[in-house]
Amino acid sequence: MYLTVKNVTKRYGTFTALDDVSISIEQGEFVCLLGPSGCGKTTLLRLIAGLTDIDEGQVLLEDEVLSDVPARNRGFGIVFQSYSLFPSMTVAENIGYGLKIRNVPAAQINARVAELLEIVKLPHLANKFPGQLSGGQQQRIALARAIAVDPRVLLLDEPLSALDAKVRSSLRDEIRQLQRTLQIPTLMVTHDQEEALALADKIICMNHGVVVQAGTPEDLYYRPATRFVADFMGVSNLIPTEMVRREMPALLSQRPDAPDAQFDACIRPEKIQINADPRGSATIRSAGFLGNLTRYKLDSVFGEMMVEVHGPQRLTEGQKVSLQISPSDCTWVVNDSYEVPQ
Amino acid sequence: MTAASTNATAKRGMRLDSDKVLAAACVAIPLIGLTLFFLYPMATVFLRSITTADGSYGFANYTEVLASKGFWRATQNSMAMGVATTIVSVFLGFIIAHGLHRCAFRGKWMIRGVIVLPLLAPSLVQALGLIFLLGRNGLVSRAIGTEVDIYGFWGLLIANTLYALPQAVMIIGASLVLLDARTYEAAEVMGAKPSRQFRDLTLPAIFFALLNSAFVVFIITITDFGNAAVIGGDYSVLATEIYTQVIGLRNFNMGAVVGIMLLLPTVISYVIERQSMKRQQGRHATNVQRFVPSFYAKRDIPMAAACFAVVAMILAVIGVVIYASFVKLWPYNQSLTFKHFDITLAGGYDSLWITIAISLGAAAGGTFLIFLMALGLRRLSGGISQMVQVLAAMPAAVPGIVLGLAYILTFNSTSTPLYLLYGTAALIGIINFYHYHTQAFLTVMTGFRQFPMALEEAATTLGAGLGRTAVNVIAPFVAPMLVAVFFFLFMRSMVTLSAVVFLTTAKLDVAAVTIMRLDDAGLTSQAAAFSTCVMAVVCLALGGMKLAIILMTWAPQTSKEG
Repeated sequence: MYLTVKNVTKRYGTFTALDDVSISIEQGEFVCLLGPSGCGKTTLLRLIAGLTDIDEGQVLLEDEVLSDVPARNRGFGIVFQSYSLFPSMTVAENIGYGLKIRNVPAAQINARVAELLEIVKLPHLANKFPGQLSGGQQQRIALARAIAVDPRVLLLDEPLSALDAKVRSSLRDEIRQLQRTLQIPTLMVTHDQEEALALADKIICMNHGVVVQAGTPEDLYYRPATRFVADFMGVSNLIPTEMVRREMPALLSQRPDAPDAQFDACIRPEKIQINADPRGSATIRSAGFLGNLTRYKLDSVFGEMMVEVHGPQRLTEGQKVSLQISPSDCTWVVNDSYEVPQ
Repeated sequence: MTAASTNATAKRGMRLDSDKVLAAACVAIPLIGLTLFFLYPMATVFLRSITTADGSYGFANYTEVLASKGFWRATQNSMAMGVATTIVSVFLGFIIAHGLHRCAFRGKWMIRGVIVLPLLAPSLVQALGLIFLLGRNGLVSRAIGTEVDIYGFWGLLIANTLYALPQAVMIIGASLVLLDARTYEAAEVMGAKPSRQFRDLTLPAIFFALLNSAFVVFIITITDFGNAAVIGGDYSVLATEIYTQVIGLRNFNMGAVVGIMLLLPTVISYVIERQSMKRQQGRHATNVQRFVPSFYAKRDIPMAAACFAVVAMILAVIGVVIYASFVKLWPYNQSLTFKHFDITLAGGYDSLWITIAISLGAAAGGTFLIFLMALGLRRLSGGISQMVQVLAAMPAAVPGIVLGLAYILTFNSTSTPLYLLYGTAALIGIINFYHYHTQAFLTVMTGFRQFPMALEEAATTLGAGLGRTAVNVIAPFVAPMLVAVFFFLFMRSMVTLSAVVFLTTAKLDVAAVTIMRLDDAGLTSQAAAFSTCVMAVVCLALGGMKLAIILMTWAPQTSKEG
């Protein structure tokens, strides 16, 4: 374990922003903190950075306890959603600022700044001021500024959220490539599941101040632990146990042994096969063309369902279809609202 | 950086964080200043007001003052003057602000330029100008051939109105700018006539601004000393009453009583004003669409006429002072000369140079102290920070004349080492700073509030301590605010009279007091000449400020070469 957060709790008055949270980041790993707004992910990032005090628990870097180390002595790098470049300094001065504080000789700073400007592909902007740059350019510079000091951990707080779609996806790829090359352990906060899936080695999904599930992107997508994760990580069909038992008992084979209300079946829309069948149990209600695939909404014995099929639309509205689902494609997720009887 | 990591490791463990110490010092130093030079003198003036002739404590002074006819007359006069000036100033201020922001006519730049002139001169310049226009030998009086008695209520009312008008226009104007054009477009589409829109949309929205401006004008009027001293004549008001008690009769305790009495209405007005401001702040809408008026003859021609009439009056009153300073023998020989600029009163221009030096000191020191305070407050916890902010905003509730009285009672007493400050230019600089502390503090705080927390956090994460962040990141960001505060303190220090009138000595005079003495000595033309010089200095400062701010907003948009 490189960076460890141990049993951290943070309260604001009566509101508990983080409740006994523990996470860890390996050397060179890219970790995403994913969750809806207000879930505590930004608070956790700020605690790690040292910008907010911890009520209970510890943050450790290898064996060093960080709790008493002020933010300025932690040697971390941070990038905010709002760019946050110093408006009175040029691009080059911004990038070199951390080195200047560390009393690095000017010639060395200049060389490092030039190198970083090459890395973020903006060498011609060295003497511009932040106000003269586009959002995407500013965020690239903010990234260069954060990595200029060879940070022990790179913290990214929704760095792509303020950018428009095209810039966002290109900068996303660049962040990924940069992190792979430099091997800086990185923690990124985001509410965008697509971003997390594309970037992370590990995703930590949070809700209401607790970690709901942590694992690889594949884990979280195909094997969500709870209804919340299943819902948050893309579209899924969630079906109560008794309905499955009545209509498709074969799917029960993988189900953990637990009360009916504790687990629901989760089936991703692309894992359902549909075929035109006049005696089928489901009816096509509507179809939406999404380019590479077609998304159907069905009225079925399980209620409304979502199914995705590669290629153009082949089935028409009102047509009867039969459903095929393999038991291995059915994941059983904990119903978050279920309370285990004492 | 491996250097950074070892550094951080070495500094592990419980210890006093240098940043926290620095932040505490940043607040402590200005706080000591506020205590010594504001709280302590105010406590002293209160104590003196309840110290009786035989040295014991009691309310004998109060009963004596309350029983005296002179005090009641002065109180009545002050209240009557305050109410009358408030009504006239708010009415005219509303006309001008409405004309500027919601009517379409040419020449608004002229109105904007002239309306601030009264702020650039000592308050007694209005009175001086009125005497040159309407006095016994005034231009107007001679032209129409009748003698107007300008000394007294009416003269003071006009002088006070001209002096208070800029504030009213600014406060009301600020609320008119915030009105969203889209709500008016919606009302228009729904079929509301302009008069209806005014009644249903404009009036409710600016109600608090009208109220606020009324309080501000009222306070300015009842606490102003300069106009009352020059044009008040026999019409005694509380501010002149204090002066008579202290300077004329050497009756310090009675002066203290009148000071405390004058403090009451201003504190009450101040509290109400702060409350109404808070309520108004809650109503601010974000991304307001600016209203661009189009020409509407029935509304705009009368409004333009009214605005220009008021502006012409201000211009005439101030212009005549400048003109008179060049006239050979007012009003008989109107040929022009520079001879009045040769000041014959003892000391000559000494007081002007000293005032400039004092003002520079007050501006530089004050701006620095307030920057420190605002910086420290960013790092302090809520409760303490709130208390400090309340204290920092308190001096605005104290009239200059009362603060001046408090200073003479405090610093003219040999019982503390603070006596060393008495009679020095430094003390005048200090009183000027604390007199205008609130406005300066609020301006800088506004700047700090706009400063994004993320910028500070970015600097911190990069390894910058508080001192470094302050110099490299925060100071450049709030620089326009600091420049504005520097020049504000400078200009106010140049023209203020009420706070410093008690602190000047035979050896140490300031510009505004010299003007008063010249006028008292019957050297009216020289008083005009001296006023002209002061106004010239202040105008230069204003120009300097505008230039500095333009340069600052320009600089970051052009790239550095090399």
